[in-house]
Amino acid sequence: MSDYEAFRARARAWLQSVAGEFGREARRGLGVEQDLALGRRYLAARFDAGFAGINWPTEMGGQGLTHIEKVIFDTEEMGFGMPTAYFGISLGMPVPILMRFCEDKAFVRERVLKALRGEEIWCQLFSEPAGGSDLAGLRTRAEVDGNGWKLNGQKVWTSWAQYCDYGVIVARTDPTVPKHKGLTYYWVDMKAPGVEVRPIKLAGGDSHVNEVFFDDVRLEDSQRMSPVGGGFAVAMATLMIERYVATDSGGFGPHLDLFVDLARDVEVNGRPAIEDGRIRSQIARNHAMRAGLESITTRAMLMMQAGMEPGPEGSLNKLVAVRSRQKLSELAIDLQGNAGLAFDPHASQKENWTASWLNAPTGRIAGGADEMLLNTIAERILGLPQDHRPDKGVPFNQIPA
Amino acid sequence: MSILLDEGQQAIATECRRVLEARSDKGRLLGLLEQVGACDAVFRDTAVEQGWTALAIAEEHGGLGLGLIELGLVAQAAGGVIAGAPFLTVGYGAARALAEAGAAEVQAAWLPRLASGAATATVAFAEGNAPLPPRPTTTFAGGRLTGVKEGVVAGLAADIAVVWAMNEGEPALVLVELSAAMRNPVDGFDNSRLYADLAFADVPAMLLAQGDAARALALDVLARMAVVTAHEQTGGAEALLTIARDYAVTRKAFGQPIGAFQSVKHRIAELYGLVEIARANCIHAAALADASQGAADFLIAAADARISATEAYDAAARDCVQIHGGIGVTWEQGLHLHMRRARSLAIEQGNLLFWEDLLVDQLTGEAA
Repeated sequence: MSDYEAFRARARAWLQSVAGEFGREARRGLGVEQDLALGRRYLAARFDAGFAGINWPTEMGGQGLTHIEKVIFDTEEMGFGMPTAYFGISLGMPVPILMRFCEDKAFVRERVLKALRGEEIWCQLFSEPAGGSDLAGLRTRAEVDGNGWKLNGQKVWTSWAQYCDYGVIVARTDPTVPKHKGLTYYWVDMKAPGVEVRPIKLAGGDSHVNEVFFDDVRLEDSQRMSPVGGGFAVAMATLMIERYVATDSGGFGPHLDLFVDLARDVEVNGRPAIEDGRIRSQIARNHAMRAGLESITTRAMLMMQAGMEPGPEGSLNKLVAVRSRQKLSELAIDLQGNAGLAFDPHASQKENWTASWLNAPTGRIAGGADEMLLNTIAERILGLPQDHRPDKGVPFNQIPA
Repeated sequence: MSILLDEGQQAIATECRRVLEARSDKGRLLGLLEQVGACDAVFRDTAVEQGWTALAIAEEHGGLGLGLIELGLVAQAAGGVIAGAPFLTVGYGAARALAEAGAAEVQAAWLPRLASGAATATVAFAEGNAPLPPRPTTTFAGGRLTGVKEGVVAGLAADIAVVWAMNEGEPALVLVELSAAMRNPVDGFDNSRLYADLAFADVPAMLLAQGDAARALALDVLARMAVVTAHEQTGGAEALLTIARDYAVTRKAFGQPIGAFQSVKHRIAELYGLVEIARANCIHAAALADASQGAADFLIAAADARISATEAYDAAARDCVQIHGGIGVTWEQGLHLHMRRARSLAIEQGNLLFWEDLLVDQLTGEAA
């Protein structure tokens, strides 16, 4: 058994030992607040068991292992349905960026340890009402205020902000230069005076995203994490921090086996739906697609283990998997006919086709809309030209609104 | 499981591409479309010279003893240049059937000649629109074969065929020398595949396998050939992706390269996704076959590869022509060579309907 397989076995054994306390069944029927509290306890247990911050330095409370063990652990953990969603962004982007770009190491260490134990949560304040995909078009402004800064404006779609202690934020510090050049990157105390968080109820009924308003919020210059005007590069670093993460070829929806089970259980024209050619074709096409994505991921892992850089095809996963999940979820509801009209708003989108369908659009937009992902593939991988961008090189305050 | 190519395999892939690109000629391929009975002799000679016909035949029979991974890489390179010779895939399938079920003297008689290119072989399983009919109408009895197999790839040129037929109420695989068969050429949309209707009128043939053993072997051979073909389809789709991309960055309209329009660039980005999924499935299936693990896993992987590669090549042919506009539909520009090949390969070794059903059968254990 390789070291990686030994690590996988050790991770799985620990996960199994705590699944009853924290896993899918333990969470069934819990409200968000109770689930979050359970999640904090799970993170503390995970920290104590030596599975927190797997590829982070040991002096920061991590395990000092590689990215490969990190992906192995995350992949194993995903199967148990642990309450980790609240901490995914926090530990995925803001906290690693804090370790990389914040100079006050004593402060960083304290924050990192608390974040790893689930005691503090960080959010990422990027998107704004004026633009999500067009990140550099943001309008929240930070103005010099004595020896620090004064923050005013609004962010939106901020995941879990209502439970967050800190956030990382990009704001405009100079509107007289082209849009990418006038941005600066800070961390912000979400409990500071002038910060107001308002949850947004989404189509599926849950409210994990928020509007966040900043009204004369004071920032010390020590909270600045980029050169003045150099915020866009740090924002890009935040988004690119982990090119290969644990993926789910099911697009974070139900496993294909559940669709096969459904097709066995219901009838079409007096015969099991699994015998209907339309259903069989969809099962086969989805299987082929998911198998391809899984092989891409396996190959990427092998390449990393061999010390090579994985190919760019890993970027296909979210694009291909989530929209396929959306269509398959529609078909699963169709298969149930009138019986498919019922809906439990607390059902898991990984187990319930209706919940999967209702929440699929969020998956196709959050973290890069399908269209932006296609642009990235076209431009970065295939070398196709950029879109027409009339705001290119134009000072931000002269771009027509 | 999934594999990384080792250095030897990478060298095979690079060398195949280099040789084939140097010797490929669009004009020659266009000419072949309008002739019945001719295949691309240049590719044929190249395949023999480079040892591709010997690649997956065991060393004891004069082959190189390599596997489906290596043959797949050759097929992928061949697909990229629309190499107009059909025998690589079916020759491999027939050799596999002989190696698994042929008597020692049959193997000794044919395998070295197939490896050296002195003889060619094909596989005739399909009847009507069924790639592997449960009860074929072609019959074998008392050492004689009777029946008709339509649209047999390489059927015009092959010396021998492995045929799916009924024997004593059970399906069987038999070996027949085609010198005794009537060959009726199919004048089709992709003529260099050498399609022929083969009629057997009480001709001498030899039993290879019968009953469940024949069924299992036929399915394994068909799946292996489907994986080779999937590589060829992926190679074709990949070539079209590059052609589409190159055209979109050079062709201008409305004052900019057409590749700057999202309707065009997204179409090309989607092709990239289809090609990479097909490629990943192909590598996975070939590796599983060579590792000779569980048969069910291999059949599923072969079906995944076949389905995604058919989707990729068809979509790439469709969209690459569309991106080219008017020039894309001209004879001389030649994109129709890929369009035609995408469809002929989609039919050879079993259509999508067959592989979709087979995949779901394997997943569920229930047949439609």
